[in-house]
Amino acid sequence: MKITRPAPRRHPETIIALIDVVFFLLVFFMLIGRMDATAPFDVLPPVSGTGADMPAGGLTMSVSAQGALALDGLELTEGAAIEQVQSALSADPDLLIRINAHRDAPLRDVLPLIARFEALGARDVVLVVTPPGPIR
Amino acid sequence: MSGAIQLGRRMATRPLISLVPMIDVMLILLVFFMVTSTYLNLDMIPALSQSDRPAPAQGTADQASASVLLIRIGADGAPHHQGKSLGQDDLTGLLAARLARDPATQVIILPTGSARIQSLVAVMDTVTTAGVTNMRVVRLEARP
Repeated sequence: MKITRPAPRRHPETIIALIDVVFFLLVFFMLIGRMDATAPFDVLPPVSGTGADMPAGGLTMSVSAQGALALDGLELTEGAAIEQVQSALSADPDLLIRINAHRDAPLRDVLPLIARFEALGARDVVLVVTPPGPIR
Repeated sequence: MSGAIQLGRRMATRPLISLVPMIDVMLILLVFFMVTSTYLNLDMIPALSQSDRPAPAQGTADQASASVLLIRIGADGAPHHQGKSLGQDDLTGLLAARLARDPATQVIILPTGSARIQSLVAVMDTVTTAGVTNMRVVRLEARP
């Protein structure tokens, strides 16, 4: 009579560690990522060493290097963009407006926007900048 | 046969909730956040704030007593003062001298429309770093 020892059962790889790693990665990317609507064109903000922390919320008006405008990621003409900002300001007069202009945009395309927003009654308009550093 | 005893290995109980769909969902969420996130470090400079609208009487009195330094920004992005082009060190020295004479010096920046916004921000950085607390950016507008 031949009695054979049963082959030892291999322990399956535990997937608990994998779940932990994936979960931490998920939380990491959720925390550090920004979920703003991105402009339909390239926008590299000006570099500034004296900028303050960016407040959350509000509208974002993007200005390309060629002067094209986009409001919250949607490219618009200046008239349409101003109209939308006006209706948003009438609903919320304390609305923050962020101007995210490309660093090569001429000032003739940016400064009049601030004056237009002020004329519409905007109280807080900020200029988006990026601190000096390797990640631009 | 009522007296028979059945010996057998108990069936392993399967977990009620499988982990595999949860891992799938987490992986999909992870890929979504990795792909859609932007990693630009963004700050802001106030361009217009509620504090820019002071009470008229106090504002005019303060501004009348403070000396004013006008800095123009040319189309090449260089700051100019009294017709002379200034480098970074020249501007820092000029600001330090004016602030030593009058700490409440108001700086007015008048940029050319064709200058890039980066040149305006660079001048504003220099002015702010020098310790100026009263700075305005003005622009000339053609009469309609």
